[in-house]
Amino acid sequence: MAPADGDRSSAVDRRRFVKALGATGLATSGGLAGCLSRGSTGPQTIEIAANTDVKENIGEIRRKLHDVGLSEEIELTAIAGVQSSGSRKQQYNRWLSGNLEQPALFMMDSGWTIPFILRDQLVDISEIRPELATTIQQEYFETFVRSIEDRTGGLYGVPLFPTTGTMLYRKDLVREAGFSPERDNWATEPLSWQQFSQVTKQTMDATDTRWGFSFQANSYEGLSCCDFKEFTGSWGGSYFGKKENLFGPVGERPVTVDSDPVVDATRMVRTFIEGDTQNPLSSVAGDISPRAVLQWQEETSRRPFSNGNVVMHRNWPYAIAIGGAEDAYGQDLGVMPIPYGVTEQDATYEGYGGTTSSLGGWHVALNPNSPKQEAAFDVMEAMVEPEMQLFLFELLGWLPPRPALFETDRIREVPVMGRYVETLKLTVENSTPRPVTVAWPQESTKIAQQANAAFSGDGTPRQQMETLKQQLQAIEEASERKDAAGDGQSPSDTGTATAGGG
Amino acid sequence: MATDTGSGRSVSLSSPGRWIEGLSDTQFAYLLLTPCLLIFGVIAFWPLVRTFQMSLHADLLYGAERIGPFVGLENYVELITGERNAALPRPFFDPSQIFTSAVTVTVIFTVVSVFFETVLGFGQALILNQEFRGRRWARVAIILPWAVPIVIQGMIFFLLFQPTIGFLVEPLNQLGVFSSTPQANSVDSLIIVIVADVWKTSAFMALIILAGLQSIDRSLYDVADVAGASKFERFRTITLPLVLPSVLVAMLFRTIGAMRVFGLIETVSSCSTVPSLSCLVVQAFSSSRYASAATVAFVTAAIIGLVVSVYIVKFADVDGGGGF
Repeated sequence: MAPADGDRSSAVDRRRFVKALGATGLATSGGLAGCLSRGSTGPQTIEIAANTDVKENIGEIRRKLHDVGLSEEIELTAIAGVQSSGSRKQQYNRWLSGNLEQPALFMMDSGWTIPFILRDQLVDISEIRPELATTIQQEYFETFVRSIEDRTGGLYGVPLFPTTGTMLYRKDLVREAGFSPERDNWATEPLSWQQFSQVTKQTMDATDTRWGFSFQANSYEGLSCCDFKEFTGSWGGSYFGKKENLFGPVGERPVTVDSDPVVDATRMVRTFIEGDTQNPLSSVAGDISPRAVLQWQEETSRRPFSNGNVVMHRNWPYAIAIGGAEDAYGQDLGVMPIPYGVTEQDATYEGYGGTTSSLGGWHVALNPNSPKQEAAFDVMEAMVEPEMQLFLFELLGWLPPRPALFETDRIREVPVMGRYVETLKLTVENSTPRPVTVAWPQESTKIAQQANAAFSGDGTPRQQMETLKQQLQAIEEASERKDAAGDGQSPSDTGTATAGGG
Repeated sequence: MATDTGSGRSVSLSSPGRWIEGLSDTQFAYLLLTPCLLIFGVIAFWPLVRTFQMSLHADLLYGAERIGPFVGLENYVELITGERNAALPRPFFDPSQIFTSAVTVTVIFTVVSVFFETVLGFGQALILNQEFRGRRWARVAIILPWAVPIVIQGMIFFLLFQPTIGFLVEPLNQLGVFSSTPQANSVDSLIIVIVADVWKTSAFMALIILAGLQSIDRSLYDVADVAGASKFERFRTITLPLVLPSVLVAMLFRTIGAMRVFGLIETVSSCSTVPSLSCLVVQAFSSSRYASAATVAFVTAAIIGLVVSVYIVKFADVDGGGGF
């Protein structure tokens, strides 16, 4: 009997255990279901995956959207998302690959929107709201719109704000060294690299400033997409020949990173960093940049400039807002276009030479899985209103994507940024987007690695660029071959798809 | 009576509760484990199988489909022969570039970091196993790095070796240990990442080894004292053999962790400068080369599996295999 009782009590315990487990399971699944049912925010609430700036200012942005005509029934809410652009791309990739219905709108970096277009993961707004697409294609900066178009004219979102590389400098220091930026109109008449490096060197010496020129040369996307592209472009060079090859066709365009202009640009940077190297570019003054630029990205290169240790600094417009603030350099902050190596007429490749800025920026794209596409389109239409764009420039320093808005008095009255509007307009007009294709992620990594190695003095610039050429050719071939083999796409289809941005 | 009770139960077998009551302890244990095994199968084995399946297809860069046609083991062949290197941010395996190819970097990182972590962790555990005043605080101090989040840890070492910010760059450069831009140099960066890992995870090793030391029967040492054994003999004949299973378990965990290293590299340096196997997976995935990413991921899992098997076999030698 005793064992039987023992079994019975054990069995009762089991029964209780199973009941408890069942109850817990039900409670948990109920809770999970509650957590997962994210569609409870109402049919007219549109979520946008954006950044911290938008999240923090969403109340004001929402009010302005309603002021410019968005229905009061539609409410925009924001998800801050991760700060790093690359991580955000991966997050969007996971969401869109998982066919999530929310968020309805995505704020996408112009540097990686095209891969989403090529994956059929965004909505072509020109098919659904053709008037909206026409307005954008006619009135916005053309180069910026190209980074969200396909070759057939399809437009896959609303360009939000462009951003370009500019050269910040200390007006007080260059004046002290005897230069006159206003008289020589540095704001809109680009200097040559020769003039720039001599001004920098002389200012360093005259004012006892530690460094002359800080920029971003770490082995990362910012080097390949932007700094190195600006250096090479200003010497009339390019990664893939003439400008119309920017967006492909992959595998059919020439790889020209070993051409003289690119090698000269690399030698120039080596001369800036190392001074008298074995192979200096004699036309520019050397030893004006610290070797630390090889490790610097945007913020690490800006800090020495903000701390007063640097004369010239290459960065994006956000750095102007910081440096031009009254508690920073105020009126003593100067901004000029990126200097040039050769003029446009003397450029080896068509479309390059002269001052050349890299074009970045962000777009707003629509999730094809969203059940609230009509309301999301209304939000996008409100974002296209000029009044909204001027408001975002005032609120967040986002440059308007319409050239016409740079001519308004109102934009010049905006504190700090308003002072530099002429220069910013010029840089946007002379900017080139990065050559985004399906092969770009790998190409970008290799370009950054080889450029960084060349700048650091690991081999000669020509050797590094020749190695880079082989690597890029291999990537181009690999991308083309795989595409033709997969999914039954013909090479011509591939070409069309690759050239999505152009 | 017992028989009656049994037949009474069998009458109402339709009730799941009654059926459960009829199970033996072993059957009941398996029943309880079943949901765990199912969940584990879904979250661990299914992705592994799916990864392998993806790795047998071609990369597809255009269109809504993620992967291309079935290509068998072509991805593996190209990966091992180096033909796939063009599609990867750094070579998978290249003996001429040991500090910039993924397999060699991962192996160097794993062997060096686990070696130093074991030695330091063992030393720390032996000290913490002693009775001394303030031992509790010493334990907290040694274990503290383990509690530091990886991003904070990464930022500490990133800033330490950032020119114009970190105070270590100039002196180490002048001593000839590092270049003036250590984070732009693959060898320097690998050393920094290893030091960062050792700084943090030695504490983990110490913790597990200390647990092993604490479980040693103290009376064995009394016997050794009576027999006149020296301190070294006590260590060699009692401490080491009895703590070895714990050391091997700790080394196993750390080896698995080290072979998957990614976050530390991304925060301290970059995947471009110190390319580990996981770096290749993430970067290939980010480039929409899902099949290549799956191939490297599966090879990484296979290498880890191989290393784990070595440990398990070794452990079986040490302890008769009972510990796992």
